[in-house]
Amino acid sequence: MNRILRKLFSNATSLIGIILLIIFIAIAIFAPVIAPPLSEDRYIIPRMSWDIDPQPPGSPMSDDIRDIYNYMGAEIKYDRAIFGTAEGGYDIFYGLIWGTRTAFKIGLITVSVSMLIGLFIGSISAYFGKWLDEILMRITDIFLSFPFLVAAMVLTTVLGRGLDKVMIALIVFGWMGYARVIRGNILSAKEETYVMAARALGVKDNKIIWKHLLPNTIFPVLVEASMSIGSMVVTASALSFLGVGAPVGYADWGQMVSFARNWIIGSPGRAGQYWYTVLYPGIFIVLFVLAWNLIGDTLRDILDPRLRGEL
Amino acid sequence: MITNNKEPLLEVKDLKTYFFTENGIVKAVDGVGFKVYQGEILGLVGESGCGKSVTAFSIMKLLDYPGKTVGGEILFKGENLLRKTDAEMRKIRGKDLAMIFQEPMTALNPVLTVGFQISEALLMHFPISKDEARKKTLELLKKVGIPMPEQRINEYPHQLSGGMRQRVMIAMAMSCDPILLIADEPTTALDVTIQAQILDLMSTLLREFKGSLIMITHDLGVIAEIADRIAIMYAGKIVEYANKRTIFYSPLHPYTFGLLTSIPRLDLEMKRLNVIPGIVPNPLHFPEGCKFNPRCSFRTDRCKEEEPQLIEVEEGHLVRCWNIDKVAQEVKKDLLVGV
Amino acid sequence: MADSLLKVDHLVKYFPIRKGVFRRTVGWVKAVDDVSFEVYEGETLGLVGESGCGKTTTALTILRLEEPTKGQVIFNGRDIIKMKKAEMRKERKKMQIIFQDPYSSLDPRMKIKDIIAEGILTHNLLNHRERYKRVGELLEKVGIPAENMDSFPHEFSGGQRQRIGIARALALEPKIIMCDEAVSALDVSIRSQIINLLKDLQKEFNLTYLFIAHDLSVIKYISDRVVVMYLGKIVEIANKKELFTNTMHPYTQALISAVPVPNPDYKKERIILQGDVPSPANPPTGCRFHPRCSKVMKICSEIEPKLIEIKEKHFCACHLYNEK
Repeated sequence: MNRILRKLFSNATSLIGIILLIIFIAIAIFAPVIAPPLSEDRYIIPRMSWDIDPQPPGSPMSDDIRDIYNYMGAEIKYDRAIFGTAEGGYDIFYGLIWGTRTAFKIGLITVSVSMLIGLFIGSISAYFGKWLDEILMRITDIFLSFPFLVAAMVLTTVLGRGLDKVMIALIVFGWMGYARVIRGNILSAKEETYVMAARALGVKDNKIIWKHLLPNTIFPVLVEASMSIGSMVVTASALSFLGVGAPVGYADWGQMVSFARNWIIGSPGRAGQYWYTVLYPGIFIVLFVLAWNLIGDTLRDILDPRLRGEL
Repeated sequence: MITNNKEPLLEVKDLKTYFFTENGIVKAVDGVGFKVYQGEILGLVGESGCGKSVTAFSIMKLLDYPGKTVGGEILFKGENLLRKTDAEMRKIRGKDLAMIFQEPMTALNPVLTVGFQISEALLMHFPISKDEARKKTLELLKKVGIPMPEQRINEYPHQLSGGMRQRVMIAMAMSCDPILLIADEPTTALDVTIQAQILDLMSTLLREFKGSLIMITHDLGVIAEIADRIAIMYAGKIVEYANKRTIFYSPLHPYTFGLLTSIPRLDLEMKRLNVIPGIVPNPLHFPEGCKFNPRCSFRTDRCKEEEPQLIEVEEGHLVRCWNIDKVAQEVKKDLLVGV
Repeated sequence: MADSLLKVDHLVKYFPIRKGVFRRTVGWVKAVDDVSFEVYEGETLGLVGESGCGKTTTALTILRLEEPTKGQVIFNGRDIIKMKKAEMRKERKKMQIIFQDPYSSLDPRMKIKDIIAEGILTHNLLNHRERYKRVGELLEKVGIPAENMDSFPHEFSGGQRQRIGIARALALEPKIIMCDEAVSALDVSIRSQIINLLKDLQKEFNLTYLFIAHDLSVIKYISDRVVVMYLGKIVEIANKKELFTNTMHPYTQALISAVPVPNPDYKKERIILQGDVPSPANPPTGCRFHPRCSKVMKICSEIEPKLIEIKEKHFCACHLYNEK
């Protein structure tokens, strides 16, 4: 374990990844301080104005909005849209800060649940083999045959709008990769002599999977999982962009990008006028995915020399 | 059989090959020297990690990063191979100097036919046509005892058994009539009855081609059958170097003695096997003084501090040990051969 | 004659060869084909043969680590093939195995104390403290200082790992231990350490060994009786001395003559076998050895010779001796 930590910190790329991740964690934890909420439900993005078109960074809160908030008794800690507003006056800065929490929620929950499902299916499929393996793998194939984004879209449309529905869709169509990876690893680990040795001692099958097979095969799955956290967030953002997913005004990066949909090109004669609606959310998403990818990459590199027997 | 030719065909002098790893420098071969005369078979004996394979790769100049030959001379037909360029080595390798490897499955290219791989060497070294190469290949396959060569020539390595693959390797190695063949554990991966076939084949071919052979192995039985002179290696150095009878009947190094008395054998009734205690040392942490001393039952204080040099104690017999008198006495007591 | 501890009776193990989309069985690898022998308490029975002869499969099938296709394995008077899974698990305590590869036979992620204790834990034999006390004792017995018990396998050498494997096998106090090429993967100078250890342990714990190897020299040193296998069948069984002085079967003779002896003056009858070992998926008709046999007769390709007791306690399956 110590070796892994040491290697993680010695590499420039992984160090960048770790630093980025720490920054995001800090943002998520300190969101209430960085962007004080203005309503009961903290995930509702406050509006700086009633303008339909996005306002540039630094725009102050419009007076009528200020009146409303004063009337509601909310403390206005800041009143400038630091990153500007998106369509409808939603504050981009607030959306991105609190969206970090949402991103972590989405990423960690979807990945861990789909990983657990995949691990379960993949390991019993590999260990018991024969017809059980065939059936489970054909089921996996069926799920894999659905194009991910389309399938997730359809499911969210069926289930209704909402971030939790998005997560369900991501999980339902996201476990197959893990199942396959763990199945492959267990199939080869199964043939290892130490597994046969455990059987010779009389160890029960479930103990063998739990104590011998999983610890030796789970590492590549963890690497894949950490890389997936980023892509899950991107997919969730894509779904939000397409209109399914988080409700309007919810602090979610995909929402922010969705807000920019009509304004990407800008107005005639002034292309890129509303750059801040795209750039800021884009930076957040890109850096988040990059952080997880860099860490996952390094974990994978650490794995390799270990696999070569060096441990 | 040592011939009249006074000049050795191959003379290795003080060869040093080190591996520069991220954990430190591994002195895999640290001052190794021996001579091979025309028509002679030299046995290079040792266990895993002693440096025998690295020696072979150094001679063939087939070392890969992070290994590097850092010192010594390899005189082949009088010329120092270490000074030769890659292009010059390519002309020598396969033609005058050939090698057979341990694992025939990994040494043969799985996606090329057997015939192609044998012809490849021929076409590289001789200005012959493809048809002539094919004819020669068929002859070679017949010579190494592969039945139905016309069929086999178009087959792939995985279609052949282990013994057959090794024969193909021998055919490849001998295709250009090399004067020196290096065989790195050529029969270790084979069944013992197949091993007997292969050793028989190699002896026959060598006699016919009047070639020389460096036979690398850990199997003392194989060495007893085939070698003329024997060099025993341990931890990157030669610890004993003599002709066959001397090694087997009057060895002077404790390691040689230990090996001979600790292996079970068919010709003797053994009450108990002698034991060499301890394990082969980690090349990153060699012991001080004589590298064998932690496991040696004859060791003295001097052995822990000073590493002995390889000294010629009688004609043609070199030993690297401070206590050969004690070993000689023990050898007399122990019956090495004969019940 | 004493009753045998283990009796293998007409044991058969075929592996299916599957081809095609629907994985139809197109043939069988006849790894073990009607093998019968007995093992007596306290002895070391050597099981020798070359690759593909079925010796390892025999051991694994006896332990039901591979399920036999047919046959009986009678251990301590009971047929373990017929036992249900739960009962077999209990029986496993008395029959253990040491594997060939010291590197893959120990779980790299477990401490060696847990590797050795696993059997004791599985069968709930001792409580926590007693368990690790026993692990310490076992480690000392096999020559590894007990204070190393918290280390991982990769911290040990090949020979030491094999010792750990031996400690694991001993932990359940078995009556019989299969040594599946237990020293073949070790360096020459380490082999004698392990062989001597096995012999000492046998004396101390009154163990019975089924010692599988391809190296006849080791077999000769360690065995009391020897079983010679070829292509899934037994060709000869005899006491060690008898096997080497009055060798009967032509294959055994060839095998003995092929073994290199570390003696420059050793004279032996040179029997070089022609050809390769045939595939166990397609064994020759009649006597499986007949295509390579120097003494082959017409009957050998037609009728399979039976394993018959030719002399007292010396069995051979060869038509050369059947006439008598």
